[in-house]
Amino acid sequence: MPARESPVISSIKFVWLNVWFWTVAPIFSLLFFLTSLVYIWLYHLIVRDQRKTSRLVRGTLNYYGLGILKCGWPLIRVRFVDYGPADQPPFVFVSNHPSSSDGFLMAYVWFEAVQMLNIWPNKVPIMRFIARQAGYISVREMPFEQFLAIGSKLLSEGCSVIAFPEGTRSGNKEMGPFHGSAFRLAQHNKVKIIPLVLAGNRKMPPRGSALLHPGRVVVSKLPAITPEEYAGMTSFRLKNVVRDLMQQHLASHPV
Amino acid sequence: MTDPELIEAVNSVFADSFEIPPEKIKPESQIFVDLGLDSLDVVDLVAAIQKKFNVQVRDDQRVRSIRTLSDLYNYLILIRAEQNKG
Repeated sequence: MPARESPVISSIKFVWLNVWFWTVAPIFSLLFFLTSLVYIWLYHLIVRDQRKTSRLVRGTLNYYGLGILKCGWPLIRVRFVDYGPADQPPFVFVSNHPSSSDGFLMAYVWFEAVQMLNIWPNKVPIMRFIARQAGYISVREMPFEQFLAIGSKLLSEGCSVIAFPEGTRSGNKEMGPFHGSAFRLAQHNKVKIIPLVLAGNRKMPPRGSALLHPGRVVVSKLPAITPEEYAGMTSFRLKNVVRDLMQQHLASHPV
Repeated sequence: MTDPELIEAVNSVFADSFEIPPEKIKPESQIFVDLGLDSLDVVDLVAAIQKKFNVQVRDDQRVRSIRTLSDLYNYLILIRAEQNKG
């Protein structure tokens, strides 16, 4: 059993992490945003293909996510574990949602993907602008049929969809009940479902705070659940089977 | 159909259509929180209820106030009484 860290050391690390992160991350974000804006705009002017531009924006966001996570290094360390490396896209990814850093952690998935967003990111103008350019889906602002049409089009183009079916941050080890829209999208298009299990970032930051706590994060990409495996299941059963699978993984792989 | 038969029939909808284990199907169970149904599942539930009881409830505003299984039992008992009157 590792020796318990003294409270003084823990406090110093906590303060240092937040001073460092909240100094570096805004500067990094500003520089990254301005640089990206220029090269994406130039790319779009030259290529004049919205599909290719959207792909570039999504790829750029992956780099941004990795960069933001590195702003917390070495007091925040992230490990990606792939239990199904041979799987080929497109997928519907479903992830648990312990913290507001989850969207950034999706950078580790490294497939072209759009995220299904809740309402709050769309209330921040800069995030709304970026989300729109990347084609992210504001799922609560549209009827299910519209979501199904947009999601199906993306999947047919080879772009995966990332969902947080709890809908809101759980903030603890126990996951909340799942919403079935992402599962219905997968069933409708007969694509593989990949569960993503995030562990260790519950306090990065905790719910209702902007302060980060040092620690290790593990992003686990579980093996795909194929259409053959979920054939015949109702979407209600499917979402609960996947939720149980993720909860079991979370319980058996403590960080 | 007596009240206990109606309750049994409602419970069978949850057991058959949603594969919810019998121990979770209790009058005080909240449909969203305890049974885990979401807004899309409720559309399926309404369709299954309509089929099972041969009633039209989709546009009835009273459906919106249903939270627990007990609320649902009472609502369907009320609907049945209204049908018998009409």
